[in-house]
Amino acid sequence: MTRDEIIALLPFLANDTLTGEERAEVEAAEVEDAEMQAELAALRAIRNTMQTEQGYSPGEMGLGRLMREVEAEAPAAIRPRATPRWAWQAVAAALLAVVVGQAVFLSRAPDDPGGFTLAGADAAFTIAVRPDTTEEALRALLLDAGVEIVGGPSALGLYQLATIEGVTNEQAIAILSASDIVESLEVPDD
Amino acid sequence: MDPHAQTLTQIAHGDKKALAQLYRALERPVYRFIQSRLNDPFESSDVLHDVFMEVWRSASRFEGRSKVQTWIFGIAYRKVIDLHRKRGRQDVTDELPDTADDSPDAEACVTAGQEAEHVRHCLGTLKDDHRTAISLAFYDDMTYAEIAEVAGVPEGTIKTRIFHAKKLLLRCLSGRVQRGVPA
Repeated sequence: MTRDEIIALLPFLANDTLTGEERAEVEAAEVEDAEMQAELAALRAIRNTMQTEQGYSPGEMGLGRLMREVEAEAPAAIRPRATPRWAWQAVAAALLAVVVGQAVFLSRAPDDPGGFTLAGADAAFTIAVRPDTTEEALRALLLDAGVEIVGGPSALGLYQLATIEGVTNEQAIAILSASDIVESLEVPDD
Repeated sequence: MDPHAQTLTQIAHGDKKALAQLYRALERPVYRFIQSRLNDPFESSDVLHDVFMEVWRSASRFEGRSKVQTWIFGIAYRKVIDLHRKRGRQDVTDELPDTADDSPDAEACVTAGQEAEHVRHCLGTLKDDHRTAISLAFYDDMTYAEIAEVAGVPEGTIKTRIFHAKKLLLRCLSGRVQRGVPA
């Protein structure tokens, strides 16, 4: 290190944060240099003065203010990504529906009497479930809600569902939307 | 081992008691740092409040690449810069004090360095970058690597800032004693 580099590090000898070879080199230089010794003494005096300074701080009043604002926005802070994720999944589901619809239209010949029917063409809703959902949990939810998978899972993890006979959309939606494993629920517009 | 890492993890999970605990542990040094740059207790209180609100909102994004304390000081550092920009504040200090003495008197520096009023005044003559580096080194005993993290600049930049800041500080202190300015 040059002399200037060593002098630049004197404040970190004064605050005792220099370590290893760097500290050894600065200490060795300082021992043999009266000017550095004087500067180090002054820096230590400045540090001690600053450390012992008793200043005002907001303390408990500031904490009270902080906690009031935290209380006011706590739900948003704990689940900050809920809204954007739903929005993106809804957009993704809509795009998927457009792409699938085009594929079906282009692949069917006009004189095709029956052809195939796309699973999910009459889906009542599209859901996404948590990535760690087990098959057992998904099956239990579908049975409970009275729905069956008519499409998916897509590459985005979306399932298209339809209600079984005797179950209304409203009944199924109530159970699906209350489930912990459902991350998004999209009901297509008629 | 970072003493605040566990607390921050709890905050990331929405634990308000953990937030209060972290506030009590760091409120004073963070406030002192902000106040050393703004020199306005009311504005400093508002910035402190904003800093801890940001800790609450973004604790889950802390990547653990620095100490929690350094991360929080970094938030405070940027908030003060934002405030300065918003106000269009110009740094007009950091000129050489009214003494042309190139080699400050060592004894006078030690004497003045022991007087809070002299130290406060001379810190106030430094421009923000220089004052920040000295404040973090002497109020908070940070390493130059930590100061570089807080300010988001290379370590070499901090060494240069400290080199110049220290020189100006010592000249100012020496000048006050030589001119007989009362402490």
